[in-house]
Amino acid sequence: MITVNVKCFSQVMYALDTDILLIELESGATTDTLEKIIRDRADGKLDGVSLRTAVNQKYIPDVVELKDGDEVAFIPPVQGG
Amino acid sequence: MILTPHELQEWIDKEKSFSVIDIRTKDQREEFQLTSLNPVVAIADAIPETQYKKVLICQFGIVTEGIIIEQDLNNTYSLLGGAQAWELFQNERKDMSRWARQTVLPEIGIEGQKKLNNATVALVGMGGLGCPVSQSLIASGIGKLKIIDGDKVELSNLHRQPLYGVEDIGRLKVQVAKEKLMQLNESAIVEPIEEFLDENNGLNFVKDATIIIDATDNIQTRQLIDQLSKKLEIPMVYGGLYRYEGQVAVLNANGSPGYGDLFPEPTSSGDACADAGVLGMIPGIIGNIQALEVVKLIVGAKPNLIGKLLIYDGMNHSMQTIVL
Repeated sequence: MITVNVKCFSQVMYALDTDILLIELESGATTDTLEKIIRDRADGKLDGVSLRTAVNQKYIPDVVELKDGDEVAFIPPVQGG
Repeated sequence: MILTPHELQEWIDKEKSFSVIDIRTKDQREEFQLTSLNPVVAIADAIPETQYKKVLICQFGIVTEGIIIEQDLNNTYSLLGGAQAWELFQNERKDMSRWARQTVLPEIGIEGQKKLNNATVALVGMGGLGCPVSQSLIASGIGKLKIIDGDKVELSNLHRQPLYGVEDIGRLKVQVAKEKLMQLNESAIVEPIEEFLDENNGLNFVKDATIIIDATDNIQTRQLIDQLSKKLEIPMVYGGLYRYEGQVAVLNANGSPGYGDLFPEPTSSGDACADAGVLGMIPGIIGNIQALEVVKLIVGAKPNLIGKLLIYDGMNHSMQTIVL
């Protein structure tokens, strides 16, 4: 098992009602796995919302395997002023 | 010997001892002022002896050069360009003194200030982000600001768009903004376009800009700005908001990713401020971070947000920077 630290921004934060989560995953879990868990926890509130992933403060365009202690952020696009 | 206005100013600044002798006629003296020089008025044929170095000043710096040679005067200087050059030099110094509190910063300096004064910036959107961005940039001395927005001022704008007041309701935002911005710097050029940015007007709006600022309230316009920015290789300073949170990034700069690289497909997101809600301070903070990045890009100050996404949370005042 691995534990990752999930930082939640904008719609993700409001959907999950927290700005940070610790989640345990099976070894070999990917960013895709984690995103599915986050979307399930959001109970439909993130349906249709595009999310981009950053691992350890770096934007990751592809699906990658997560390591124990990684910090993952899911970033939705935001509008403006 | 010849002395430039800049060298003469250095003598003043270093409190050197010297005498200034003004050989001009009364009419000439009224035309150009010798500010801060306290000259002795004399005629060309009777230059007074002094115990200090002498600086001779005529109207354009030509007559005094001749006098020094003809009369073989020692320890005497002719002011290059004469009184006219001195007045121009002092006017320039006076203008620059307006920004003295920022030119003292080594990253800005006089050279950086001149870059700001000569810069043209294109700002898309004059709402919650556009207001603080434009105020800070005009106050900082940006030479030309092009603003585009087809919206009119509404009562519900006033809490977060401090350029506008109750008396402006119903007027075009860009027209009101121009009036208010010109009060901050009367020598700036503010060019208002009373339309929304689209594929027809976009190219013409941004093509002569040093930087494009995305202060829009919708992702579709942001994607158009991104395309123009990438095509013309003009950096784009992006700003976005969601409730208490804001994002800023410098995109398409020196090969850095664009918005389309971050969100490649048509995106779906949360609501604009009108629906999601926003306190005026958040666009104020995010807009000023955008303006700061614009200034840093123009003067070349580093580090900056090229290739990075800054996320600010106004509820707990945390910041996170994501490398793109």
